[in-house]
Amino acid sequence: MEAVKFEKVHFSYPSGGNVATDEDIFSSDASFSLNGIDFSVQEGEFIAVLGHNGSGKSTLARLTNGLLTPDSGKITVLGLDATNEENLFNIRKQVGIVFQNPDNQTVASIVEDDIAFGPENVGIAREEIGKRIDFALNAVGMSEYRHSTTSRLSGGQKQRIAIAGVLALKPRVMILDESTAMLDPRGRKEVIDVVLKLNKEEKITVILITHFTEEALLADRAVVMHRGEIVMQGKPEEVLKREKELEKCSLTLPRPIKICQKLREGGLHVQDALTSETLSDEIVRELENIPVTLPAIWEKEEAPEQKFGGEIGRVECKNLSFTYNPASPFATHALNGVDLEIGAGEFFGIIGHTGSGKSTFVQHLNALIKLPTAEKKYKEKRKKVQENPTVLTVDGFDLTKKTTDFKALRKKVGMVFQYPEYQLFAETVFEDVAFGLKNFAEDLSEAEIEREVKEAIEIVGLNYEEVKNRSPFELSGGQKRRVAIAGVLVTRPEILVLDEPAAGLDPLGKEEIMSLLHKLHALWCKTIIVVSHDMDEIAENCTRAAIFSEGKILAVGTPKQLFERSAAMEKAGLDVPFVAKLVNALKARGVEIDCDLTVSDFIEKILKRAKTGGAGMRLSEIGGQNDA
Amino acid sequence: MREVSFGQYYPADSFVHKCDPRTKLLFLIAYIVAVFLAQNFYALGACIAVFIVIAAFSGVRFSSLLRSVKAITFLLVFTAVLNLLFHSGEKVLFSWWVITITEEAVYFTIFLAVRLFLLVLSSAILTLTTTPVALTDGIESLLKPLKWIRFPVHELALIMSIALRFIPILTDETGRIMNAQKARGADFETGGLIKRVKAVIPVLIPLLISAFRRADELGDAMDARCYSGSKVRTKYKKLTFGWRDLIAALIVAALFAGIVLLRIYTQAIV
Repeated sequence: MEAVKFEKVHFSYPSGGNVATDEDIFSSDASFSLNGIDFSVQEGEFIAVLGHNGSGKSTLARLTNGLLTPDSGKITVLGLDATNEENLFNIRKQVGIVFQNPDNQTVASIVEDDIAFGPENVGIAREEIGKRIDFALNAVGMSEYRHSTTSRLSGGQKQRIAIAGVLALKPRVMILDESTAMLDPRGRKEVIDVVLKLNKEEKITVILITHFTEEALLADRAVVMHRGEIVMQGKPEEVLKREKELEKCSLTLPRPIKICQKLREGGLHVQDALTSETLSDEIVRELENIPVTLPAIWEKEEAPEQKFGGEIGRVECKNLSFTYNPASPFATHALNGVDLEIGAGEFFGIIGHTGSGKSTFVQHLNALIKLPTAEKKYKEKRKKVQENPTVLTVDGFDLTKKTTDFKALRKKVGMVFQYPEYQLFAETVFEDVAFGLKNFAEDLSEAEIEREVKEAIEIVGLNYEEVKNRSPFELSGGQKRRVAIAGVLVTRPEILVLDEPAAGLDPLGKEEIMSLLHKLHALWCKTIIVVSHDMDEIAENCTRAAIFSEGKILAVGTPKQLFERSAAMEKAGLDVPFVAKLVNALKARGVEIDCDLTVSDFIEKILKRAKTGGAGMRLSEIGGQNDA
Repeated sequence: MREVSFGQYYPADSFVHKCDPRTKLLFLIAYIVAVFLAQNFYALGACIAVFIVIAAFSGVRFSSLLRSVKAITFLLVFTAVLNLLFHSGEKVLFSWWVITITEEAVYFTIFLAVRLFLLVLSSAILTLTTTPVALTDGIESLLKPLKWIRFPVHELALIMSIALRFIPILTDETGRIMNAQKARGADFETGGLIKRVKAVIPVLIPLLISAFRRADELGDAMDARCYSGSKVRTKYKKLTFGWRDLIAALIVAALFAGIVLLRIYTQAIV
């Protein structure tokens, strides 16, 4: 039976698309309308709906359970007409939606009360509600959190609670509307694992709306949307191979497939593979058949190692500790003796889970959190010699002293917070970008301000004349984020700190932001520090990185040094980049690849190896493995 | 980043924690009335004694309680000084220039201060020992009779519980936005009144926008989970009175009776 069926559905938002939906925040074009959608989902199916922000995929979800009504066309959900208002209650009982923001879908402060909300609404008896809470919490693996406070859970846990809240209604269809977009990789995995289990064990039909092509690979069927239309449909392995078509929809290839394609371009005849294990099998098999011709572009010499020096743009930190709410039952040791040095000119990565202390650390860098010795109230105790004094020097400023000019420091150390577009406030883009400049340099003339603002807006890739007099709230999500970054850049910081700069963006948006950062690193800011939990992002972009865990630094080094010890990383609950997995899998098969873990370098080294006829490879061993 | 402050639940497993929220609410109301009925030091002493007993059985740390008073210290000192100076009376204790302090004023000030303290502290015990959910359930249950006059009791309770649930989220968000603007050189700490009010705008606007967005999304999420008002709604949590509630009722009844008796048979000093 068909669980959901759309026939020639048209829909457009009345006010030209300027409606606050989840997608609105990040959208690159604000048209979420649907143009004649024909689409159906079988019961028990797991389908993934892919599309860039603003492609209309969330509109699809909202139409399915009657949060929106179509302009024309027919929508049938589990045999009921979804355009008939009287059916909505019955449809919503059987079609659950989990939304994007984990904070904005919880009604109650205590987990079990929140899960009870749905069953209470449909008038289920008290004893039965208790049983349903047991069932739902068990299904998402959160039974021990039944009496916890919802606001203290991690993002992944919150989303699992949201899933449980929907499950307690015993739905037959579950829609996940970008439910993983705001989560870190660990949270994302938690949620996806739960969804897969529900689909297999409880036979719940799943519609997973996402822009992560990797997630779509798990589905039975992938549907790609673009500008309100379904442009591709089919088995995920098939659909996600078509690079050109995906690119047209602002989507990227899943990383393994991208590597396969690059290798094929280089002359290796590898088949598409999805995991590091199968892909390394492919590579090993291909390396044995030494190819005849190869393009010469891979003959590149290795760049000499960069040296970093000087005070400007440097961060030195020794024995830094910090405790939130000291001397209270909620005291948390956010930092515990952190030693770290970041050289001038680095593109430095900071990795760690939520709660690992990474945000607390970066907030120290421009004195948003001041050291106790730098507080106004602090009085120097006489002759108390500390054995291991705290040192924190950023860009030449000594942050342990209260005599330091903190305003000058903040001008030189720019800080871009997570979702920086949420801090926009002014009437025009110009005013918003100029805000920081006027705060820091009160004696600038109008002409100077205008020049600086213009340069800042232009370097983030926006057209100054076009946007300067517009309200920042009229812009698309990606543009808003650029304006917010310009608002920090306008004071020309020497160190730029960014907390999850790519969070919530679709894959293409992510790539654009990362290339913007490289441009800034080359032209504008000496040192760039990026906080991220996307290991692939770190491996692709950073010169060095530090791993934070429970307020301490677990390791510092180049991505290669860090991710070589993937066992240790996984022990700390951290993922490793796909390329690192691949290198390890190849190593296990007797092929040692010495690369810096970026996709391009990996491909280069593999092809070089292939060209030199697999020299250095222990062919006998590989042969043996293949036989076995 | 959350500070523990007035109104935050303090998790513990005490006698007071286990009482029914309705008992606690009614107890608090009766207690506050009793405190304001107390006319002399015997009665006030009885009130303080009851408070100490309740605080001792609440499992709440004394320092957490004190923190809740800190917020009103200024108000307390301000009103105390005003009363001390301007409360009229006959027995003059001290007089200099335009300042006259009378015995009545001194008593009145002491009573006022103690009453305010007890008021705040006893309310703090309620909010520290009762989860917001239990509290709204209690209020909803107590207000139930108002349904007869079509007062939207359920909706009111839901609004309250959602408001309470979003307090920590919006507090965090305020902190984040303030930090972001501070990093752009905003200064919230120095300057005159006008400058400070102006400095709040870059925080307030993003906060409001975010609150509206959250409200919008929450509304959708509630719709999707079949919310349709109180028509067919059942309730998972049922409040039940237990032996603790009986004891609490006896204590407050005894206090009330005592204070009324003292009012009749002893002399009032305020």
